Amino acid sequence: MSKPRNKKSISRRKFIEGTGAALVAAAAVPTLDAQTPAAAKASGGGTSAVPRSTIRLKVNGAMHNIEVEDRWTLVEVLRDHLKLTGTKIGCDRGECGACTVHVDGNAVYSCSQLAVWMDGKSIQTVEGLEKNGKLDPLQQAFIDFDAPQCGFCTSGQLMAAKAVLNKNPRPTREEVRAGMAGNICRCSNYNLYVDATLAAAGVSAGMGSKTIIVDDAGATRVAPLKTLGRATPRIDTRLRVSGKASYTGDVSLPGMLYARVLRSPHPHAKIRKIDTSRAADLPGVKAIVTHENCNYVWGAGSIAGGRQYVEEMKKITKQRRYAFNNPVRYAGEPVAAVAAVDRHTAEEALQLISVDYEVLPFVLDQEEALKPGAPQIWPEGNISLDIRNEAKPMREARGNVEQGLRESDRVFESRYSTTFVHNAQMEPRGAVAQWEGDKLTIYTPTGGIANCRTDMARDLGIPEENVRVICQYMGGNFGNKNQNQDSDLITATLAKLAGAPVKLEYTRKEDFIGMHGRWPTTQYYKVGVKKDGTLHALEMRGFSGMGPYRKNSGSIGGIQLYKVPHVQYVVTPVYTNKTTGANFRGPEFPQGFFGAQSMMDEVAYQMGMDPVEFLVKNMTRKAEDEHEYTNYTLEECFRRGAEAFDWKKRWKAKPGSDTGSVKRGSGVAFLAFRAGLGRSAAWMDVDSQGRYKVHVGVTDVGGGAKTTMGLIAAEALGVPLSQVEVIWGDTSRCPYSVGESGSRTTIMTGYAVIQAARDLQKMIAEKGLPKGNDLLTAKADTNPSVPGGKVRNSFAAHFVEVEVDTAVGHVKVLKYVAVHDSGRIMNPLSATGQIKGAVIMGIGMALHEELHYDPRSGQALTAGYYGQRVATHMDAPDVEVIFIESDDGYGPFGAKSIGEAGKLPAVAAIGNAIFNATGKRMRDLPIRRQRLVEVRA
Amino acid sequence: MRSFSNANPRDMQQAAKLAQQARMEGRNAAFAGGGSDMLGLIKERIATPDVLVHLKGIQGANKVETKGGATVIGGQISLSDLSHNQVILKRYAVLAEAAGSVATPQIRNAGTLAGNVCQRPWCWYFRNGFPCFKAGGSQCFSFNGENQFHAIFGGGPSFIVHPSDTAVALMALDAKFRIVGPSGQRTLSAADFFTLPKQNAAKENALAYDEVLASVELPAAAAGQRSSYHKVLDRDAWTHAVVSTAVVLDMNGDTCRSARIVLGGVAPIPWRVPEAEKVLTGQRVTPELAARAAETALAGAQPLAKNAYKIPLTKEIVQRTVSAVARA
Repeated sequence: MSKPRNKKSISRRKFIEGTGAALVAAAAVPTLDAQTPAAAKASGGGTSAVPRSTIRLKVNGAMHNIEVEDRWTLVEVLRDHLKLTGTKIGCDRGECGACTVHVDGNAVYSCSQLAVWMDGKSIQTVEGLEKNGKLDPLQQAFIDFDAPQCGFCTSGQLMAAKAVLNKNPRPTREEVRAGMAGNICRCSNYNLYVDATLAAAGVSAGMGSKTIIVDDAGATRVAPLKTLGRATPRIDTRLRVSGKASYTGDVSLPGMLYARVLRSPHPHAKIRKIDTSRAADLPGVKAIVTHENCNYVWGAGSIAGGRQYVEEMKKITKQRRYAFNNPVRYAGEPVAAVAAVDRHTAEEALQLISVDYEVLPFVLDQEEALKPGAPQIWPEGNISLDIRNEAKPMREARGNVEQGLRESDRVFESRYSTTFVHNAQMEPRGAVAQWEGDKLTIYTPTGGIANCRTDMARDLGIPEENVRVICQYMGGNFGNKNQNQDSDLITATLAKLAGAPVKLEYTRKEDFIGMHGRWPTTQYYKVGVKKDGTLHALEMRGFSGMGPYRKNSGSIGGIQLYKVPHVQYVVTPVYTNKTTGANFRGPEFPQGFFGAQSMMDEVAYQMGMDPVEFLVKNMTRKAEDEHEYTNYTLEECFRRGAEAFDWKKRWKAKPGSDTGSVKRGSGVAFLAFRAGLGRSAAWMDVDSQGRYKVHVGVTDVGGGAKTTMGLIAAEALGVPLSQVEVIWGDTSRCPYSVGESGSRTTIMTGYAVIQAARDLQKMIAEKGLPKGNDLLTAKADTNPSVPGGKVRNSFAAHFVEVEVDTAVGHVKVLKYVAVHDSGRIMNPLSATGQIKGAVIMGIGMALHEELHYDPRSGQALTAGYYGQRVATHMDAPDVEVIFIESDDGYGPFGAKSIGEAGKLPAVAAIGNAIFNATGKRMRDLPIRRQRLVEVRA
Repeated sequence: MRSFSNANPRDMQQAAKLAQQARMEGRNAAFAGGGSDMLGLIKERIATPDVLVHLKGIQGANKVETKGGATVIGGQISLSDLSHNQVILKRYAVLAEAAGSVATPQIRNAGTLAGNVCQRPWCWYFRNGFPCFKAGGSQCFSFNGENQFHAIFGGGPSFIVHPSDTAVALMALDAKFRIVGPSGQRTLSAADFFTLPKQNAAKENALAYDEVLASVELPAAAAGQRSSYHKVLDRDAWTHAVVSTAVVLDMNGDTCRSARIVLGGVAPIPWRVPEAEKVLTGQRVTPELAARAAETALAGAQPLAKNAYKIPLTKEIVQRTVSAVARA
């Protein structure tokens, strides 16, 4: 089974050429090198005679004589052969900077240098920054400023910052930005990286990183606590700034094989035949899987798929998503995977697999997919099935919208659209799987070890206790990381077949084209207003492009932010042949808020009102106009924000009124977002010395959850943080945790930690501390709820001023003030980074980001950090954060949600500011330079 | 990555010979300078060399030397050294600025002038492995496809835009390109070095498979020479030029003795606009005149379905850059 062979083979290349198809996979393309004409022809490759060279390399001061394959990159040698895994691979294409090292003192991308070129050179990596156990001042500054969030880009940021300071010991803020422009941080903690670098240089950070915490002006003053609420460096930051934190890709097991995945070049095709025989014959290949020998359902790959494990649904499930699907339904869908002795052999083997595709018609756009005659992606049609396997739009209604529109004095209509945007977390997906008998251990970048374990056991059909999931560090989340991945299933299957541990590494491109991002939408609004500017009716029709599998609801959030008697909401989730649309930081909101809040901004101007005045008049006072909030600070957010921003002065009563081509303007947007309670668990033990251990199933996706759990435990126990050890990221040592998604770890797991502390204290009070090596253990499994039908929300208002150079279509953010009520701020240091990073991500989504598909081939053209135009240091303005602290009496010490919140209003705020500056309403994302030039021309 | 052997030649001629020898053995050779572009192409299997000839280690291939009034720049100079070189900054600012605008600090540290000039196109079809003209195929996917970033001048049958920033500056400086082959060398003007798709759709320049760009020579800068490079990016760092312009003016007070204006990101080669240069020659450079030159520069542009915005965008930066250089 591990070496499947088919007698007849039709090579994929031959097939494609034969049918005259307009596109082929990269692998099948006739190739040329830069300065050589087409005539030269390469042989098939293989590992038989791989050229090698011996080089002398000085790394962090130590000399190494190493024999390398000529094709090995510097980063491969550093990581795989010298075991210096602090240097990360984020893109392997010189796009992201995670692999930055110094070569003879100059910062370079170690992914874009061959090791053989480094002969005789001196390399410095992050591991070389520390001298005699003492951190470099720059590393210390990174800790002090909480610069690393997920930490995956941190080594690269350090080496880039170090290079800046080596050349220019007292740089300006702009010089630091420019010097670090080649280092992407998808957590977008750019402000704090720059602050930390300046601080290390002894230059004052200036106003760059201003954060203010104020009290809720209402009745609910926040009582000060002993441990929580103080700026606390993370408990694991030292490891993150010294390259010692172990991410999935850093795990190396004896006898480990490397895996690669072959993906469909076609957006829709039936696989007639796969011939793997030539790949199987390649020396070094140990296992091959395809849909023919791996038919595991990937339950978490779609809602309907996941639901099918519910007994009542099992019988009626119509649309299953497998680890390998036939037909393939998007360009980039896995077709086969190979495990081999090294990554190059595995990659080479992919070239030898022949796939005979019957190419089917495809559709990319969600509205096109609903037209009569559109290609059918599933037999049941292109309306995406919901969890009950029903093909129907999502509907919500209050009052009577038609009557409401009739009763309105004025009615406004507009269409908005948003595009597919990929999460682009710095660590590409991948996994390491090892079987011991029938027990599986899997290392994988997951924010939900408990859910991942459940999913793996269910998909593989083995008992949960036979699955151990480990994730000590992971390089960013932003959605879709609270389940298992297809990469986990593929790796586990290959490891089983090969009888050896297997490491699968997705390339950056694979992560983009094969995995989930934000679903694209089209949104049609109809808004009825009374003469005095009171909202009266609100109708929204929306269409969400889900890709071929429905991984998330596909709803479009936004209209629930308004107080309005007549509402109708109809959103149709639609199957398309793009990659799957799913969770990405506030799954349905940044795109929905962009549409809804741009629309309301339009209405405000049409009614001759200041948008702030219009919003304060019409914004939500009760959830769905019905349920009381546990506390309510939106008005306070607006008031504080308008003041700090100087809204009256910066906002232009007449949009586009600046003379000349460079125009300034300001915009506003706001947020009310779930902060609900729910189930999670925690264990806590104490030893005879009064040392506490808290076991939580968190991995810390970047938000600082480990430290927050430690702080909560210390606070609840009344001991210093140093007396609490946090155990995380390993299902064999940690109980169920809700998983880091939905901005709820602090609230839900934190609540369980408090309960465990109280239980443990009670036990200590009764029995005293344990003796000898004994432990006292408390296990809390809590599932609190807010009583009385009340709704718990976080609130925010964002104010932004932009300068638009209309003649060249360039947008510069001049000032950004984000006011947030996220309840009690547990750790101001990390909370600040959450908001700043989210805002900058939102700016990127507003202005640049798009996974752009070629309509003729159905292939993504902009996969990667370069292609999607992910924000760099140069694109990241300084963001001012104001927290209005409140304590509504629920959750752990009054904490509410924060992780997603900052991104949600940012996109709309930018769009509204561009309108105020230019007088042009930009209704389609992203608001790229091209579009701004076009509307002016 | 596909397997290949690395070769470290002594000098440029040996480098060329290695490529020639590989061809005779039925093998495929490629040259790498800093490696950023070439390794990306190899990883994507767009380039499939059996022998990779590494040029950056060649001794003395990265020097800046002045000979008489002229300046010779070794092709293997790193882009960051070039952008900080005092001679270049003083006499040929446009080239220093262009070199400093490339990609990221890390790529400028590794990347070379010759590599930047000779990098392959960044058309998204080519880079995603479509079998287009540039990959030896027989069609241009952008023509009826997604051509937002494609040519408005000189296109056909391929509509790529030349990706190099420094190439635009070099053409504006009237640089000569010294090419070394297995049996000698030749020197080409920029006009002859960069080639349009209609000459050979698979290539961007006149280099044969076994030739390397060894150095460039810049003629003496006139006493009143001022210059600047303006690049428009698609985010605020690390993109190729959406459009760009290199402007070199020889000024006498506020009168322009002569002008060279070259556009980037608009054509398969750096696109010189002689008619626009004539508008400036012998004239006092006023904002109105700069606008007229910009208008003239874009006359005759033939946009595809999705890139007409490049016309007003390029006009604007030509006008601004001409004005700024004249004022400086």
